Amino acid sequence: MCCANMATYKSWWNLLLKLTIFWIHTYSTCAFNEIWWNLGMSGVLQNPNLYIVGTKTMCVQLKGLSLGQQKLCTLYHDHMPSVGSGAQMGINECQYQFRFRRWNCTTIQGDTSVFGPVLQIPSREAAFTHAISAAGVIHAISRSCREGDLASCGCSRAMRPKDLNRDYIWGGCGDNIEYGYRFAKAFVDVREKEKNHPRHSEALSRMLMNLHNNEAGRRAVYNYAKVACKCHGVSGSCSLKTCWQQLPTFREIGERLKERYDGAVEVKFNKRGTRLKRKHKKYNKPSKEDLIYIDQSPDYCQASKDTGSLGTTGRECNKGSDGMDGCNLMCCGRGYNTFKKTIVERCNCKFVWCCHVKCKTCESVKDIHVCK
Amino acid sequence: MGGVVLETLSWKKLIILGLFLLFLLITFFLIGGLIAPRPTNVVHVIGTKCVNKGGVGNKEWFIPRGGSEKCIQYSSLDDPGIEDDRISANQIVFSFWLPHPREGIQLDFSRWQQTMISVLDLTILYDDENQVEDDAIIQLDARISYRDKEDDVNDWKELASSLEERQLRCEMEGKKENGYAYNCDLLSFFELGSLHYDYYLINIKVPVEPYKGINAGIGNLRDITLVGIHQNGGFTKVWLSIKTVMFPVVLAVLIWFWRRIGQLSRPPNLLERTLFALGIAMSILNCPLEWFTLAIDMPFMLLITDIRQGGFYAMLLCFWIIFTGEHIMDQCERNRLVLYWKHLLAVVIGCFCLLLFELSERGVQLANPFFSIWVTGVGAKLALSFIIVAAIAASCYFFFLCYMIFLVFRNISAKKVALPSMSKSRRSFYMGLIYRFKFLMLATLVCSALTVVFFIISQLSEGQWKWGDEDPSLEYTSAFFTGVYGMWNIYVIGLLSMYAPSHKQFVQGSNAGGDSQEEEVQLTYLPSSSETSAIQSFAAKVAAD
Repeated sequence: MCCANMATYKSWWNLLLKLTIFWIHTYSTCAFNEIWWNLGMSGVLQNPNLYIVGTKTMCVQLKGLSLGQQKLCTLYHDHMPSVGSGAQMGINECQYQFRFRRWNCTTIQGDTSVFGPVLQIPSREAAFTHAISAAGVIHAISRSCREGDLASCGCSRAMRPKDLNRDYIWGGCGDNIEYGYRFAKAFVDVREKEKNHPRHSEALSRMLMNLHNNEAGRRAVYNYAKVACKCHGVSGSCSLKTCWQQLPTFREIGERLKERYDGAVEVKFNKRGTRLKRKHKKYNKPSKEDLIYIDQSPDYCQASKDTGSLGTTGRECNKGSDGMDGCNLMCCGRGYNTFKKTIVERCNCKFVWCCHVKCKTCESVKDIHVCK
Repeated sequence: MGGVVLETLSWKKLIILGLFLLFLLITFFLIGGLIAPRPTNVVHVIGTKCVNKGGVGNKEWFIPRGGSEKCIQYSSLDDPGIEDDRISANQIVFSFWLPHPREGIQLDFSRWQQTMISVLDLTILYDDENQVEDDAIIQLDARISYRDKEDDVNDWKELASSLEERQLRCEMEGKKENGYAYNCDLLSFFELGSLHYDYYLINIKVPVEPYKGINAGIGNLRDITLVGIHQNGGFTKVWLSIKTVMFPVVLAVLIWFWRRIGQLSRPPNLLERTLFALGIAMSILNCPLEWFTLAIDMPFMLLITDIRQGGFYAMLLCFWIIFTGEHIMDQCERNRLVLYWKHLLAVVIGCFCLLLFELSERGVQLANPFFSIWVTGVGAKLALSFIIVAAIAASCYFFFLCYMIFLVFRNISAKKVALPSMSKSRRSFYMGLIYRFKFLMLATLVCSALTVVFFIISQLSEGQWKWGDEDPSLEYTSAFFTGVYGMWNIYVIGLLSMYAPSHKQFVQGSNAGGDSQEEEVQLTYLPSSSETSAIQSFAAKVAAD
């Protein structure tokens, strides 16, 4: 009797200990806010030592992956370079789309949260980054499938790999964008779904927001894939027509998501605290393609420890412009310094479609305005 | 009198037969819709950017994947390594290995997949300083080779090679800013009439000669995507099964029909001969020659199938003209092919033009799979003129056909007025004639309407196809093909069995005397029949009575 009691007591202790460790673990990942976008940072996947250690160790060593993503990484380790290049495409596109804004998608080298603590705020910017990186993954995966890089790319019709060749001969393989979508959904969303959050909690609202914006990013790729067709019936007539999906260029996707960013919908919890709904009734309901955010963005003018904003001090601005890139708005009224800079450019080039070009170098002097 | 089977059938039998044929038709439609996959499928391959270190004349094959045989490659043409290594445009080879590996397995083509055609999709990025010129022409040095699974990994054997020129039609929609892509038309690339081997490897060079202006104004080419369209093995299997079943069935009906005609005391008339020829054309189309492609390399199969199909439709058009002509019911004696020379000339000219077009496109492709008549200016004009002449011939044909149908209907209404005043046998003869004609009109109209409807449905379902929609439970395109194919088979079988001479004799009841005069009445042809003579003979009979 007594011994049995002792055993129960011990197992309880064990459980409590495990729970504490788990809590510390999850808390620590939360605190650093690691995210898989880190794979897109230069030098993370390019590290040659990474591939020697074996897939399991590699996946644990990759910083920024959540537990579920680590599992997916071991299963689909050959997809990781594509995930990395997708993340990188997302980051580059973000920087291109926001190059004239106060917040310009600056990445912080060595920080596994990639864009720094400012994206802890559930703002429009956070919404955009989630969407564009999810879009980057589906784009990169579908592309790699088409390049034949990913040997393990799916052929959606085949249920059992054993019968793959037979199924392929019977009805061909499914679309690569579809495969990219499925993989991106599994990989990107698993991070959000790992934990259960109580109702009305900030973590739950952020999770719902991220899931929505990830989906919006993915839809920006496949909803706008163009359909191309070829007629090849008798005598080249259109009695037989075959159509397929063309991937949009990533620039188009970035542009589309930027439009969604401009029209993003502010949301709040419903009464039960389980779902998000629009805050202002006068705006339209957010569709699955719209971006949503919870809090207003900071003004990004000043560097601030509280928000994590880097400020616009030292940013170049355009003196003549009335837009966001104009010196007045960019520098938040602080004024700017003007320098003269000698720019060395290629000029009089003889271009062909690719590769090495023969150019002259020209020098010119330009005025550069930099925010105080 | 000896009528055709159709006239001797009771309504009950006719309805049962009609329902049975309808059931067959639905079966054909469902076989395509439920069992067969889509007729064709697509393989997308983005060209691997290999580097040719061996100079311009280097004839080695650049293989995108594998172990030591894999080519030296860059992940992108913007790779800084290309600039560092001073790689020139002439050294870049776009390499494609079809099909892809999937789920860790290198897939291979099967002979069931029959044919492959391909188009190229160019990714050209906008660059202020290097724009795509208007009317730019891209020159491709293309080579294609094949290998079987069990061959050595380096053992690629050349199938064809050619220096091809294609017109670039690219435009910028929206913003003209660096990094945005041109929207370029697809370039037709090659057509293979047989997929006899397991793997195909395609190497494309885009040679530059600035002084000759070759490939000078094609902009910033970043990627070449090859879209290969192959037939689905499943579709071939279903298709071949249908053909294999239909071939002996139609052949048996055809033999039965000809034996019936042989039993007649008179020689076969024109309509019977035409019907027989239609049956032969159908049998030629049905003949499952495709079985041989599983064993022998037959790249000409595509051409043969097209010719067979063209032959059948030409025969069908001729049959309609002759059938309508033989039912006009006026005084002229027809029953001779020569009388239809105007109408048949339209069919012959139209079909001949399409045949020439076919031969100059698919025929030349037998020698050079990269050839397309549309890419050169002269060729495109020639092809267009073939098609225009064929279209003119087709419209002439339909004018003739409509006019003849109008004549028939005019005569039918005139005859209907006169029917009550005719002798019983004469009346039954005309009624039979009208009935036969109306029956065929109805069957033909239903078949043509169904063909058009099926075609529109399949085109719509294909054009609006977007993934993310639920997979349609019916494969419309396949259903269209099997449905229409089955329908014309049923049509021919129906005609052969319905319009075969009947053994049964009409029981004429009271007016048995008229029979002897009508005994020589053939399928459609009534000697010197006119309203007046009919009335005269009626009057004579009354007088004799």
